[in-house]
Amino acid sequence: MKKKPNYKLIIGAGVIVLALVYMLIAASRSNTQYFITVEELQNQQSELQGQKLRMSGAVIGESIQYDPANLDLSFEVAQIPGDHKLIAEMGGMAKVLSEAVNDPNRPRITIHYTGVKPDLLKDEAQAIMTGSLGADGVFEATELLMKCPSKYESALPDQVED
Amino acid sequence: MFTIGYGAFALSMLLMLVCLVLVARQLVRKQLEIPRSVRLLTNIGFALHSLSVLALLYLQLSQDYSNAYVVGVINPALPDYLKVTALWGGQAGSLFFWSWIINLCLVIALNRRHILQKNWGYLFALLNLLFFSGISMFLENPFTRVWQFADGTLTASLFSPGEGAMVYSGLIGQGLNPLLRHWGMVIHPPILYIGFGAFLLPFAETLSHLIVKGDGEDLIASLRPWLLIAWIFLTAGITLGSWWSYDVLGWGGYWAWDPVETASLIPWLVSTGLLHSMFLTQKRNIFKRINIILILASYLLILFSILITRAGLISSVHAFGESAVSMPLTVFLLAFLAHSIALVAWRWKKMDSGWEFKSWYSRDSLFLYTLVLLVAIGIVCLWGLLYPLVTQALTGTQITLDRGFYDRAVTPFFVVLVLLMAVCPLVGWSATTLKKFGKRSLIPLAAALAASMAAYLWLSKSWVVVLSIFIVALGLAVLVAITVRDLRKTEKPGTTFWKMRSRYGAFLVHAGILLIMLGIVGVEGLSDSIQGTLIPGDRMPLGEYGVEYIELTDHYESPEYLSVRAQIDLWRGDKLLGRVTPGQDVYESRSQYVSIPGKRSTLAGDIYTILLDYDETMGYISVQATINPLVNWMWIGSLFLCLGAAFSLTSPIVKEQAVRKEDEKLDED
Repeated sequence: MKKKPNYKLIIGAGVIVLALVYMLIAASRSNTQYFITVEELQNQQSELQGQKLRMSGAVIGESIQYDPANLDLSFEVAQIPGDHKLIAEMGGMAKVLSEAVNDPNRPRITIHYTGVKPDLLKDEAQAIMTGSLGADGVFEATELLMKCPSKYESALPDQVED
Repeated sequence: MFTIGYGAFALSMLLMLVCLVLVARQLVRKQLEIPRSVRLLTNIGFALHSLSVLALLYLQLSQDYSNAYVVGVINPALPDYLKVTALWGGQAGSLFFWSWIINLCLVIALNRRHILQKNWGYLFALLNLLFFSGISMFLENPFTRVWQFADGTLTASLFSPGEGAMVYSGLIGQGLNPLLRHWGMVIHPPILYIGFGAFLLPFAETLSHLIVKGDGEDLIASLRPWLLIAWIFLTAGITLGSWWSYDVLGWGGYWAWDPVETASLIPWLVSTGLLHSMFLTQKRNIFKRINIILILASYLLILFSILITRAGLISSVHAFGESAVSMPLTVFLLAFLAHSIALVAWRWKKMDSGWEFKSWYSRDSLFLYTLVLLVAIGIVCLWGLLYPLVTQALTGTQITLDRGFYDRAVTPFFVVLVLLMAVCPLVGWSATTLKKFGKRSLIPLAAALAASMAAYLWLSKSWVVVLSIFIVALGLAVLVAITVRDLRKTEKPGTTFWKMRSRYGAFLVHAGILLIMLGIVGVEGLSDSIQGTLIPGDRMPLGEYGVEYIELTDHYESPEYLSVRAQIDLWRGDKLLGRVTPGQDVYESRSQYVSIPGKRSTLAGDIYTILLDYDETMGYISVQATINPLVNWMWIGSLFLCLGAAFSLTSPIVKEQAVRKEDEKLDED
């Protein structure tokens, strides 16, 4: 039995695929951010100013300032590499974060955020910020995500690693 | 206990290998029946696996700190129920528990003799079991012990790492992270795992079917119970996660498009599509190819979701630490993907159902649209997840999409989908006439218009909110109208209702989706929030309510943490509604605190308060108070989803044939 090509179905499928592709492209365009490191941001300050960025860094505990009345939060983060493999080679995220915080020569940047202070924001935590760099060199974060390397289990002390 | 646990696990893996060899030998001889020896060995293997899980639980409960996993997740002050849940609180334990869940599903299927009764199906399920057991055994073994060398240095290893090393049990752990100390932790992971595991069986059976028969006939009837069970557990698991995340501040609200959430939603979307195409196959023997593709895709997407969670490739609140599992898991996933594609391509012609697209608005077509929309949302989510990985591979810099992407790209599809769902029951089988459609929709349409008018007048002027309320009201009114119409037609409404439980189960599920949408509208469109700094006696307004701060209290609920609570009274006018106690549990030893929201929940909505900051010496607190109208309908709707599917599930397969006729009769006018 030879079947006629099913035009209705083809047109329907075509419309749906087009709609899907359009949605994906339109939404991707307006909501993308470049994932960069603190160092990259400082090296390319002028080009990146105003762009939507996503950045990861190690939280410096003593720099955290929070005004709960206005939900005004600021803190500094220190440079950590953006590459998973590199971090693994350097001995894991916990170690990288600790070294970054304790090394005064690492590039640092001030983050400003308006909102509720996350529970996990503390010294040597990994913060992932979405936002943009202001003219004053402060990173204005619109979204703040905290990651603790020991989020789910406390790692064995350093000396225990084989 | 180490010997029992590790030994039993090793033995059970050995038995799995023996079964693999036995089954492979049978297959070489072209024998499809599973030998009795394999059945027996599988059962013994499962018993050993279970024994080994019990041994690990014993280690946790007895706080045996010679075990490295126990050091990681247990501390003396942890209550016993959390000591048990710590089994899935860390990477090694949860992978081990997951392999046990797979084994559990396999054994149930094997012994109930509905599916997985051929060597091929058994083989594929066994390969999955072996793979995850292997990961537990060789990469993330939960029985690893802590050893001390003569010079005092410590190391983690299964067996003695060198001469003079002794098992060391002096490391006392800090225990489960405070954020995980919630009863969501007790049920959310296991239920999700069961949902994940239950999808393996239809997957394995379908691969087997493609190899052995490959025409797509009679497959769905045998898979239906498992697919429904898997779907119920998956739904419950995702919802519980969402509810937990709403109940605890640290997780980012009921839904944040976190990569792990998104990754678990994709198999849900695909399998929901599957429930629809499966229904058509049962009734009209069409859409067989689509079924098979969706079954295979569901499980492959579950593997993908596990990969996202475990490998730490993408930043997420769920992320476990970095782990060695990503490479083997990727290879495993790609191998099964290639295998599935090859088998489907091979049997493509044979599975043809001869269905033709005849009308734009027959119920067949509407099912097809539903399916396409669900899959489209799935593709959007998958795109969002893969985008950072793809851009990194192509350009070297990672470009990520924020949640605005999902909100913008998913919402339109979702709204169209729900609208479709609302009108779908009005359309009869095959081509329906527009006139008939108009007549049926009159009363529900009037009800929906009234509801959206009311929403416009009293709730919100936003057109999105009004449109959403219209859709929800229309959908619910249609479901009620049709049920009433059905039952008035028959003499014994009770009997009809019970006989047609797959039909009314589906109605219940659809009502659930509508209620979830109502909840989302409430939280996203109607919520109101205020924050302020208060001293005792201060009152701040929140909509029509008043939020009054009474005092700050603190006490040690357990020696581990100090519970600080703000006593806050909620007023409406002069009427005292009740007290909420937002606060913080302060874990001094680990310099961490967990915010505990204070909530007052009613069907009309929640008043949700968070203690942002407090100063005991100065006596002030900072609070954020939010009204989340209608939010609880989200959880009620989710309950409807599970109950509706369970209701359908009780309808036995054999009687489906007769029920089909009834169903079509009810749809006639």
